[in-house]
Amino acid sequence: MKIFDFFDLDIRKQNQSEFRKIKLLVCTLLLIMSFTIIGYRTISLASINKKNISNTAYTKIENNSFQKNLRGNIYDRNKKILATSISTLSLYANPQEILNKNQTITKLIKIFPNLKKEDLSKKLSSNKKHINLLREISPREYASLLSAGIEGLNIKTINKRIYPNNSLASHILGATDIDGKGIAGVEKKFDSQLQSGRDLTLSIHAGIQHITRTLLLDQIKKFEAEGGAGIIMNAKNGELISVVSLPDYNANNYNSILNENLFNKATKGIYELGSTLKLITAAIAFESNLINENDVFDVSKPLKVSSRIINDFHPLNYAINIPEVIVHSSNIGSAKIAEKFGSSTQLKYLRSLGLLNMLSLEIPELGKPQVIMDKKVLSTMTISYGHGISITPMHLASATATIVNSGFKVDPTLIRGKTEKKNELIISEETSIKMRSIMRLVVSNKNGTAKKAEAPGYLIGGKTGTAEKINPSGGYSKKENIVAFTGAFPMNNPEFIITVMIDNPKGQKFSLGYRTAGWVAAPIVKKLVTRVAPILGVRPQLESSSKFFNNLLDFEIRGKNHGANL
Amino acid sequence: MIRYPSFLIFFVILFVGISLYQIKHFITKKEIELSHIKKNIKTVQTDINILNAELSYLKRPDRIEKIAINKLGLREILPTDIWNLTDLVDATDILNNGEKK
Repeated sequence: MKIFDFFDLDIRKQNQSEFRKIKLLVCTLLLIMSFTIIGYRTISLASINKKNISNTAYTKIENNSFQKNLRGNIYDRNKKILATSISTLSLYANPQEILNKNQTITKLIKIFPNLKKEDLSKKLSSNKKHINLLREISPREYASLLSAGIEGLNIKTINKRIYPNNSLASHILGATDIDGKGIAGVEKKFDSQLQSGRDLTLSIHAGIQHITRTLLLDQIKKFEAEGGAGIIMNAKNGELISVVSLPDYNANNYNSILNENLFNKATKGIYELGSTLKLITAAIAFESNLINENDVFDVSKPLKVSSRIINDFHPLNYAINIPEVIVHSSNIGSAKIAEKFGSSTQLKYLRSLGLLNMLSLEIPELGKPQVIMDKKVLSTMTISYGHGISITPMHLASATATIVNSGFKVDPTLIRGKTEKKNELIISEETSIKMRSIMRLVVSNKNGTAKKAEAPGYLIGGKTGTAEKINPSGGYSKKENIVAFTGAFPMNNPEFIITVMIDNPKGQKFSLGYRTAGWVAAPIVKKLVTRVAPILGVRPQLESSSKFFNNLLDFEIRGKNHGANL
Repeated sequence: MIRYPSFLIFFVILFVGISLYQIKHFITKKEIELSHIKKNIKTVQTDINILNAELSYLKRPDRIEKIAINKLGLREILPTDIWNLTDLVDATDILNNGEKK
């Protein structure tokens, strides 16, 4: 029956119709599946995946565009660039890719005449795959290289640290190594900040830094000195306006500089700064309440202590009080004052003024003071006039600031707007006023040792110091000395500290053979204050002005032959 | 009955596919453009850095000082060049009172 059914047309038609339906359904499903796959693939391709092979070009551009951050800039207090980084081109080669070495050498020498044929030949014969040929090439040289079309040569972009002001503040800025890592100065201290591309603003004023450097350099040349240091600091918040150490160097050539030029005399070099320390002795005396400004000390005869005889440079034949000890710079008077308050009190104040410890300044080049701490009477006496105590000029500037800043501790800083404020009181306001008045007299009084520092209207006050240099073989050198001045202006409301030190000046004809601080250091202070005070916003005051003598006490200073003979 | 939905699905999928393809290329193009722009920004920033450094070099204090002295004939300010207005008033008063006497 079934065979016959096959030949039955109706049955066949019915079967065919069902078969078509199934076929169509299968096709539809296949079509849907295909388009689903195509759709899925389209979506997956449409989504941006940077790792996708199809986006290789994108990845390449991305990598080229986002190079490592440039090292942060260093600015002065007025946002003037002191250090910055720029991208330069560097030339390297793969010797394996160079077919004709002689031709390459000839072409290279034509573009870079300074390259030596022998060196190039040696480098290009190497088995290495990467040879540095020139660390830095100019855009013009780059263009010449491209047009020369030399095979095997490659160019890469490198970052270079530059110091547009050359030697200005070089000791403070420091340097970076070939890989851009800070190796000295603030570059080292703030390396992580600068490496991450963040800028640094210093308290330094580029203009004042230049003026300080120029005047100091002039005086060093005039007196044929070995070097020197100059510091200008805000007396209230410790911000350093200028820090100069001479000899200095071009910061762009750090790696080719002699070690002695790299030495920072202002913050690392420790020196016996002589009579400038008498300021501290006088401040301790007032603060100890054991001595007042009217107590007198006989300085008419040299003082013999143990095996040592203490003399005065300008001997006086009468008994003098503390202001006169400072103005005449009497070693004998200072030693006798120190004897009265003793070693423990002296060391206590030296410590609290920060003269026994390293400073917390923001550079790595810092000197540690050396002080004789045997507590013997002789040591106490010599320390009182600056012998047996070696400190950096920066220590002296800091101590001076504390003395004139109503006794509040002033820590020097290189960072503008540093907010740390301790308000640590070291000496009283009363002592501070006495000290300011005495410091003013050292400059303004006709018997003062710093008369040559007087700049009319700016009320400069301070103290000079002349000390024989320590011989490396022991003892003191009679032929070599260190001269210094530390002070502030204007003394009726001290705003800025000025500390100057000159290393080993020689007596000159115009100085009548003298090489003391009064002849060498004091004149710089006058010139410096005259030039920088208007920039710092300190206006000259008239002596007739009612404010001129504000906060200043009047001490009588007797001259060489005006005292009662003893 | 089967044919119409199949055609519909076919055209919808085709439309979506082409659209996505277009969007993908559009986005890729824009991303590349963005990268180029970023690269240009970087180049310009580098150029600005160089120009700033050059400007700093030209404005260095020793050079400005030389120009001020040699080309402009300027000199340093002396204390007598600066007057406080109150001091000036005081001085004028003293002078006027003196004249009256």
